[in-house]
Amino acid sequence: MVINFRPLFLVLTLGLFLALPTGCAKRSQEPTILTLWHNYGGQLKETMDELIDEFNETVGLSEGIIINVTSISGSAAIHDKLLMAAHGEPGAPHLPDITIAYPKTALLLAEKGLLADLEQFFTPEELAAYIPQFLDEGRLNGNLYVFPTAKSTEVLFLNKTIFDRFAAETGAKIEDLQTFEGISRIAALYHDWIDPQGPQPTGNGKTFFMSDSLFNFALVGTRQLGVELIDDGKVNTTSPEHAQVWQAYFKPAVLEQAAIYNGYAADLFKTGEIICATGSTAGVLFYPQTVTYPDNSSEPLELAILPYPVFEGGEKVALQRGAGMCVFRSTPERERLAAIFLKWFTAPENNLRFVSSTGYLPVTKEAFGEIMSREIKTVDHENIKALLQTCQTMQKEYTFYVTPLFEGVDQLQEKYENCFKEAAQRARESYLERLSAGTPQDIYEAVADQVWRNFVAEFQ
Amino acid sequence: MPKLKKAGERGISLSLRFSLFLAVLVSTIILVVAAVLLSSGTFTAGLRQSEDAVKSELTLAARDIAEQYGHIAWQAISLARNLSQSIAEKADSINLSTSNLDEHPELLEEIIGGEYDKLLFALQVAKSSGAFFILEATVNPSHAQAVNSRAGLYLKNMEPNVVSSSTPNITVLRGSPAIARRRSYALHAQWRLEFDVSDAPYYHRLLAAAGANPELSLSRLYYWSEPLLLPGTSEEVMLCTVPLIDARGNVFGVCGLEISAMLFKLSHLPGSSTYQRLFFLLAPLREEGIPLQESLVAGGYAARVAAEKGGVLVISPTRQQFYLYRQGESHSYLGMHTVLPLYPADAVFAEEQWMVAAMVPQEDIMGPITRLNLLLFSSLVVLAIGGILLSLLLGRKLFLKPIAESLAIIKSSDYSTAPKTKIPEFDNLIDYLALHNRELSEKAREENISFQALDQFLEKTKELSPAEYSVFSLYCQGYTAQEIAQKLYRSINTIKTHSKRIYMKLDLKTREELLLYVQLLKETGREIP
Repeated sequence: MVINFRPLFLVLTLGLFLALPTGCAKRSQEPTILTLWHNYGGQLKETMDELIDEFNETVGLSEGIIINVTSISGSAAIHDKLLMAAHGEPGAPHLPDITIAYPKTALLLAEKGLLADLEQFFTPEELAAYIPQFLDEGRLNGNLYVFPTAKSTEVLFLNKTIFDRFAAETGAKIEDLQTFEGISRIAALYHDWIDPQGPQPTGNGKTFFMSDSLFNFALVGTRQLGVELIDDGKVNTTSPEHAQVWQAYFKPAVLEQAAIYNGYAADLFKTGEIICATGSTAGVLFYPQTVTYPDNSSEPLELAILPYPVFEGGEKVALQRGAGMCVFRSTPERERLAAIFLKWFTAPENNLRFVSSTGYLPVTKEAFGEIMSREIKTVDHENIKALLQTCQTMQKEYTFYVTPLFEGVDQLQEKYENCFKEAAQRARESYLERLSAGTPQDIYEAVADQVWRNFVAEFQ
Repeated sequence: MPKLKKAGERGISLSLRFSLFLAVLVSTIILVVAAVLLSSGTFTAGLRQSEDAVKSELTLAARDIAEQYGHIAWQAISLARNLSQSIAEKADSINLSTSNLDEHPELLEEIIGGEYDKLLFALQVAKSSGAFFILEATVNPSHAQAVNSRAGLYLKNMEPNVVSSSTPNITVLRGSPAIARRRSYALHAQWRLEFDVSDAPYYHRLLAAAGANPELSLSRLYYWSEPLLLPGTSEEVMLCTVPLIDARGNVFGVCGLEISAMLFKLSHLPGSSTYQRLFFLLAPLREEGIPLQESLVAGGYAARVAAEKGGVLVISPTRQQFYLYRQGESHSYLGMHTVLPLYPADAVFAEEQWMVAAMVPQEDIMGPITRLNLLLFSSLVVLAIGGILLSLLLGRKLFLKPIAESLAIIKSSDYSTAPKTKIPEFDNLIDYLALHNRELSEKAREENISFQALDQFLEKTKELSPAEYSVFSLYCQGYTAQEIAQKLYRSINTIKTHSKRIYMKLDLKTREELLLYVQLLKETGREIP
């Protein structure tokens, strides 16, 4: 038998020549390192770290991507750093490939042509999986610059331990906290109950309620009542609805029933100085599990998380908050790789792992449905479990409202907050000074009127 | 076997001999190449490169970590000097002694709040993630937990890695809320009013050491804690603590600076693009290995796996520079480590040894090397097979085929019209055979004539009578006529008569001619009937 070796020889030779360069090529392929700035510090950092490490280990490894976190800062610090870098300020860090940013920051960066339009990296089917309002919030000038990664809304936090004690003695009901008017009534009742328990005859500093952001409080409150707080880039303080909203916080604040504080309500929860607050869901981990008193004694705190209150007769409206991720313009390939990370990070299972340990809300329709219900059962952290259940309810019943985006909104917000607090503080001081001269209601009306008119004039 | 035996008996064909020769030749060449590669270290070159890369990373990391820890230790010592003096003076000004601070808890907030700026300054200058001081006092001595509760202040920089320090994100982890509010700083999510020192070697060991060594300066008394979780917190921190000692030598607390796990990780991110999973580890040096629960790590997912699994990394040397670090049965890392000097040689805690290690999951290093060596080995095998096949192919075409054709020509015997083989040896042979063939033909032709005469001679012998044949037979045996007469008992005349008739029938003239025929018959192997 004559064996024809020629085909075998050709195959082996071809295989040899193909195998050698392939082996060398694999060795020389370097991964692309993408830098990331985010604001998930503190207890959120651990979860974020785990997810990024997992991405690097799995999809990143196969796609040749390494996500390298080069800054973990608060959202305000990130905003400052981004603008410093964008403006080329001395000492500014290099811009990252991906950053967490609020739309207001993204707008400034987009105007400088620094951001990539992310729409090009997603198919219409892929985008359809996300909650449309979340995507819309990230669309600026028709381009998708801020990709939704985790959102938040505002809810009502309650120290149920103290509230139950208070309710048992006064007959207050937790249902009263469904409306802001109810909260005002309960705040007055609580003040009357708690103040005599302090070391001094009055003014012991125990208040019932606080809103983390008075601007958001007014923005959403007026929207619940059917009008817009912001009109043509200005605060409309003259509407009766705004007056109603303003009064709902101003009066309790003056009467020492609501807190006036330049910080987060969670701080006052820690010392028992308030027991009820509206604030971002993302702040849930900052709420304590114990209350510590000045004498170093403490007691456990059961935190109840309730849907955002509504003004009587108003619609169920709550704020939609939360930053997204932006990709800086570089090369089409780097931008594409960054988009791969965003897709992975917001895939329902990964997105839910993040939100279920941080207090944020998922961004896809799928994650908000059955998957979330299943996830809630597996969450260990009682506060987050309660939060997710409340958010699921709100997702069904509430309309989510996005802060209008325009140049100067930050300054306007800051001005509103400061003016409100200063007015309330001045009025409270005046009220306390005159307290011995009449009934609280009379004195309040005497000091409030002028303060109100000054406040309204400030925004004319 | 029988076939082989038969083949062996028949001999080994030229083709098989040729194939075996080529196989041995090519295999020998490949083996020599493999031996050269092996002896030149080609197969271990990847490992050496890996060692160089990891060693370089370790050197840089160890230098950076030593600088950072040295800087923070020095800043902690400076802070201790400042606070010791400041608090003592403050106590004096309100008629207190540092030794009886716990007798006036109502004054603690004022004393502690007064040191806020110094603490914040130290925190920022040291670029650490936290700064604190703890006094030997509590705000509520009658509280049930008072024995383990200490007043003080702990500031945390939540973003120690932020480039711009214009807006540091400072929170108060421990201390009076009033102090935080005066500075508009938030309370940390895991804030507590006081320090829990029930399990705080960074506090108790240091106080004991300071009490036992009053002659030593602060630069010989500082202490680096192992990475730990402060009660009620969730992030590991390493604390550098220094005792607070007043001018009279009274030890009244400790102060210190912190390196959080996050700060360590962000400060010492590996820069290797070769090994994505390379990580650094700072740990106490122990005989049994590296205690992971007491280590800080900087790196990727592999570092997380190592840290989360806990336990001890058992260190084993390898034949190369690498050490093997085994974490149970499931995880192994290759890397190197070096001792990190955290204390002066004459410091109280100088015996506490620390090390910095750079490690990579074993599969990340060995995988590519194994694949490369496998590729090299496969290439050699493919080259060997390819070489043999190529040799066979070319051998068949350029060697065996012409030989076979030449042999066929030789077998054909038709040398005159045979084409040239273009192999000089064979062409010469064929020429020679052609010539030889011609000579043989001529000779044969000549011999052919003689054979005809002999055959005719033999044919004629059949015409002899029996008596004549007896005489002819004896003539063939060499007898003379006289001898034949005597042998046959005949007269000589009778024999002569027979002889005449014999000569006539056989067409012979003389007895010599008869004997020549007999001789020729013998030479040609013919037998006389």
